[in-house]
Amino acid sequence: MLKYILNRLFHSVIVMFVISFIVFFIMFKAGDPVQLLLPPDATQQDVIEMRHALGIDQSFIKQYEAFLKNVAKGNLGNSFVYGQPALDVVFERLPATLELSVLAMIFSIIFGVPLGIIASIKPKAWYSKAIMFLSLSGISVPVFWTGMVLVLIFSVLLGWLPSSGRGEVYLFTSAFTWDGIKHLIMPVLTLSFFQLALILRLTRTGMMEVMMQDYIKLATAKGVPRRVVVYYHALKNSLIPLITVIGIQFGQLVAFTIVTETIFAWPGTGKLIIDSIQNLDRPIVVAYLLVISFIFVAINFIVDILYTFVDPRVRV
Amino acid sequence: MKKLTVAVAALALVGTIGFAKTLKVGLASGAYTMDPQAFNETATNSILSNIFDTLVRFDENIKVHPDLAESWSNPEPKVWIIKLRKGVKFHNGNTFNADDVVFTFDRIKNWKKSGFKGKVSMIDKVEKIDDYTVKFTTKKAFPVFLRKLTYVNMLDKETVKGKSDEWIGLHPIGTGPYKFVLWRKGDQIKFKANPNYWAGKAKFDDLIFRVLSNNATRTAAILSGEVDLINRVPVVDVNRIKNNSKLNTFVKPGLRLIYLQMDQFREKTPYVKSPTGKNPFLDVRVRRALYYGINEDAIIKYIMKGFAAPAAQFHPDVVVGYDPTIKRVKYDPAKAKKLLAEAGYPNGFSVVLDAPNNRYINDAQIAQAVASSLAKIGIKVKVNATPKSSFFPKTAKQDTSFFLIGWASSDGDGSSMLDGVVHSKDDVKGYGRYNNGKYSNAQVDKLIEESDGNMNPTARVKQMREAQKIAIVDDQNIIPLHYQVDIYASSKKIKFVPRTDSRIWAYDIK
Repeated sequence: MLKYILNRLFHSVIVMFVISFIVFFIMFKAGDPVQLLLPPDATQQDVIEMRHALGIDQSFIKQYEAFLKNVAKGNLGNSFVYGQPALDVVFERLPATLELSVLAMIFSIIFGVPLGIIASIKPKAWYSKAIMFLSLSGISVPVFWTGMVLVLIFSVLLGWLPSSGRGEVYLFTSAFTWDGIKHLIMPVLTLSFFQLALILRLTRTGMMEVMMQDYIKLATAKGVPRRVVVYYHALKNSLIPLITVIGIQFGQLVAFTIVTETIFAWPGTGKLIIDSIQNLDRPIVVAYLLVISFIFVAINFIVDILYTFVDPRVRV
Repeated sequence: MKKLTVAVAALALVGTIGFAKTLKVGLASGAYTMDPQAFNETATNSILSNIFDTLVRFDENIKVHPDLAESWSNPEPKVWIIKLRKGVKFHNGNTFNADDVVFTFDRIKNWKKSGFKGKVSMIDKVEKIDDYTVKFTTKKAFPVFLRKLTYVNMLDKETVKGKSDEWIGLHPIGTGPYKFVLWRKGDQIKFKANPNYWAGKAKFDDLIFRVLSNNATRTAAILSGEVDLINRVPVVDVNRIKNNSKLNTFVKPGLRLIYLQMDQFREKTPYVKSPTGKNPFLDVRVRRALYYGINEDAIIKYIMKGFAAPAAQFHPDVVVGYDPTIKRVKYDPAKAKKLLAEAGYPNGFSVVLDAPNNRYINDAQIAQAVASSLAKIGIKVKVNATPKSSFFPKTAKQDTSFFLIGWASSDGDGSSMLDGVVHSKDDVKGYGRYNNGKYSNAQVDKLIEESDGNMNPTARVKQMREAQKIAIVDDQNIIPLHYQVDIYASSKKIKFVPRTDSRIWAYDIK
């Protein structure tokens, strides 16, 4: 087990190293941020001085070398635009994004799995068909549209929920205050629709497959109660693909909350990264992508560990 | 009974005193830093103008008014004596005096990362005469001196000296009407009224700026009453807001000109295919044909939905140097065709038009409309709309033959565009940094340089007008399209004053 963890850790470091190089190179090639940082009345002399102050007048190799030296000291450089340490800027925004993603995932699982089970047991019942129809719309309707419709109904017309912003924040999250919760409802719903539908459909397919297996028939024939057959024998065995997908989807959620964040003016990392790419703010882009790839790597690791609990046949 | 009345009255009084008035503003973009000398950019400047004072300040029509400078004199062309307002305190209680002024100017000058160098580069020396008198000596006679000072926010020497750039970027302490409370990046910035503001306490006790960069979100926030004021109202939503009985809309002409410029210096230009193989833009008749051949009325009507003002010259009418005699020509495709034929291009030519797609209002669509207008006179235009991060470096290298760009005369003085766009490119003298079509006319250069040092306002404006007339009327160095306008929406509960400089100065909002 320890060997496995160390091995994974080593791979992760290599992955992040490669990512840093690629991103650094792309941002280096993308253009000169000083043209955007200085106002039109700046002189050529100001441009040269600013380039020097930011260290971007050096060759690519020199710049990357300086970057690696700083990384060794735990410093990813200062943002060109904000002037603050890049990692601080990213970490300041990360809780908002994580909060949204985690809540959306929890919501999707809590509703998606039971609804999927219900729809799988009696697939021909009217309620199963209704669930499947709703899940289809959850998958096909664009996030942007869902968000705007929610805002139109609950903020503009009814005035029940605030249309945007994060509300009161306590201990890095807005989930502990009433004002914060009111701000969370619509973004979390918007972000979960697709995930919920996906999880629901996967659960249903998985369950239907497992329910046809011989050991389920055997258990039923033995007289094991229906409830135990469904929720213990069948569900547990259909979980592996579900966990894999949830793992991947969670990474996706963190990395692609941008649309939801934009609609609800949610101060997460999605908006930050788009702004930073537009402003050619290389330190932020590099720091953000390193943090996100670390999250992906960590999730994959957790998913692998979870397999062993769900299915003892799997060995790490 | 009497006792009860008194009690009720007292309660009512407590009620009014205890009720804090809050002004919530929804902005299309937020601040990048709280350091007023770092990033010279409209949204950041706008927010920080509520915390920091300057020596002189623009009013809503971009005229210069005293702020921390009580009065000034200009005894010699290069010398300005400024008398400071007495009894002004910073938010932390420190007294504002001449040392702070000297320190502020020194920091901009010496800090390599300051974006405000262009506002102080004309200054040679800043000296303290006494605690409340400062003497400025400029390198040359400099008529735009006071206007430039409107960008220099006064810092407290005792607070800032020795602090890191990162610290200053998070801890703004000024003398302005509002004090800093908190900044949740990407979400909101909270200020509270400064009770000791030298001109009297602001009407609103709390001021909250929220960043609502998505257009539909910003509209939803004002419609649902979550904010009292929004800027940059999307043109498609203006009517919806107008129909709401609780809201007002405001339209204020801005300073930004949107225009086209073309390569005027290369015999062969990279992105043109012409029958002769030469650069057609070298011929003034071709440039003039473009002016006649672009249907700007249609652009304003269909793309800007009426929210733009047609332009015929470099500056809108509030800017010093505006020339009322220059009028826009009427759209005339027949005349444009004739001019092209005279220049030897009866069948036109083809060209790539570079444009940003995230910098100006509807920038890429305007470029498309220009292309379809010019197609009617035989010029095939291919639009290359890219994000500003690649557009600006590309045009800065003159890797373009024809481009759409904007210019805001942010000092309210025509010299900014004349120096930056019209004068020949000259990195040594610091002229023409954005003249990437490299238009060059020695007579225009001479007039601009003379006007830049002319301390007689009337004579100066005459020179500026003359330079403009030669450049735009005779030489057609650029094709002006329109001036942008700013659109705001506010709740009827507040009295909002829109400003030419696009800033939101909460002290004037009642």
